[in-house]
Amino acid sequence: MEALGINLNLFLAQLINFGVIVGLLWVLLYKPVQKILNERTARIEASLREADQVRQQLASAKRDYDAEIAKARKEAAEIVAQAQERARAQEAEIIKQARSEADRIREEARAQAEQERSQMLREAKDEIAELVTLTATRVLNAELKATGHDKLIEESLAALGRQN
Amino acid sequence: MEGLNLIATALAIGLAAIGPGIGIGIIVAGALQAMGRNPEMENTLITYMFIGIAFTEALAIFGLVISFMIAFGVIQ
Amino acid sequence: MSGRMRFLVIAIVLLAVAVASRFFLFSGDPHVEVAAEKLFSIGGFKVTNALFTALVVDIILVVLAWLATRNMQLVPRGLQNVLEIILEALYNLLKNISPKFIDRAWPLVATIFLFVLTANWLGLVPGATSLGPCMAKEHKETARLALVEEGPKAGSIALIPAAAEKHNPYTTCPEGTSLIPWLRPPSTDLNFTFALGLLSFVFFTYWGFRNLGFGGYLSKFFNLNGIMSFVGIIEFISELIKPVALALRLFGNIFAGEVLIAVLTFLVPLVLPMPIYGFELFVGFIQALVFALLTMAFLSIATSGHGDEHHGGEGAHGADASKAH
Repeated sequence: MEALGINLNLFLAQLINFGVIVGLLWVLLYKPVQKILNERTARIEASLREADQVRQQLASAKRDYDAEIAKARKEAAEIVAQAQERARAQEAEIIKQARSEADRIREEARAQAEQERSQMLREAKDEIAELVTLTATRVLNAELKATGHDKLIEESLAALGRQN
Repeated sequence: MEGLNLIATALAIGLAAIGPGIGIGIIVAGALQAMGRNPEMENTLITYMFIGIAFTEALAIFGLVISFMIAFGVIQ
Repeated sequence: MSGRMRFLVIAIVLLAVAVASRFFLFSGDPHVEVAAEKLFSIGGFKVTNALFTALVVDIILVVLAWLATRNMQLVPRGLQNVLEIILEALYNLLKNISPKFIDRAWPLVATIFLFVLTANWLGLVPGATSLGPCMAKEHKETARLALVEEGPKAGSIALIPAAAEKHNPYTTCPEGTSLIPWLRPPSTDLNFTFALGLLSFVFFTYWGFRNLGFGGYLSKFFNLNGIMSFVGIIEFISELIKPVALALRLFGNIFAGEVLIAVLTFLVPLVLPMPIYGFELFVGFIQALVFALLTMAFLSIATSGHGDEHHGGEGAHGADASKAH
């Protein structure tokens, strides 16, 4: 035993020394480290919870925002639809007006043309009558006497008017 | 006497190293096979592998201590 | 120059340095002593260098702990971060083995790990085991490792009987004295390793009694039910061997490492000891871890009931016990 260096005093000294260092490290190292690890765990858990809350808040805010956006979009669509409706109505109105205007103009044109034609016809009739009268007068002047001729002219004219 | 001491020293550690050498080989082979089959157990297996190696190696260490004792005249 | 050429050149240079150092660098006898040596005595109590180193380790650990925890931050940095990482990794590793008892065992096993690790690595600090006072030789041992000066084996190292020992010309100590290093890892002192083994044994036996009751724990070893009574006796012997195995495992590993480095440094001072240093760093870490792990595993075995006790080896027990929880 002596040659191996085993000695009761040294053995006890090492035992006590180790016991003391266990105690010292327990107080100086393990307890503070355990404490800080627990603290950190608590802190991390709290942070995670907080992050969860923030995420939920964010999600709800997003939902609100999305709803707002959807509403606004719908309103805009409605407004556009109304505007289109109104524009279509106006368009129809304008077309109708234009069509009626065109009809009116055409009608007027036709009426004027009719009038001009009848006037022209009348004038032509008068002209023809005059020409006929003149011709007839010239032809008849030689053979017929002026008396009784006016009656014949009027009859011819009336016949002409009836024909037209 | 001197020569006998030397022989005893060499035999003590030499013979003591045979068994643990084979044993540690078997332990590590088994552990590696297990790790190859399910690598997710690696950490646990390494721990137990070292515990097993420590047990096996202890035998060689006993032999080594005996050989030291003979060499340095603790036992004659 | 290609990578292979460079590798070759480096290898050759290293080899040359190693061979040259063998012939041009001489050192004193390798310091190999099974027992811790006396440094000084206080009132009749002799303080060995292992005990002195244990105190140094105490101081290192306490100062580190104080520095790391004096200004604790929720966001860790520096030393606090390092120690937290180490302790957390160790905690999780040990929790794997026995989740039920980790909080009770934590101060003990964590201190075992930190103390043994610091002690083991302190022995690897250059100069730690080679600086110290010269003290008068105590010729208790019959033989020691020393330089052979004459004959066909001159220049090599051999076990030389104390009577035939000559003074090594390369030691700095005067004749008749030898160098006693200030520092010697406590793990290479059997007093320390047995103290630690006993502490561990008392701890897990206490929790075994506490958990299974006085009769319950004893009935694991002493019972009258056929073949089991015989197995119980064997279990009892292996239970008593546990602290001895713990102590000798730590002592043997670390002491063998120290001897290996001392002898190699004596034979080939450069290059060759370098990979051994790396390996010893690893061994020092693994042995510290294994001591803590085994204490935890034994605790787990001691506190587990009768059912999962009688199958498989010790290692398998640890696995079974931790799965049972």
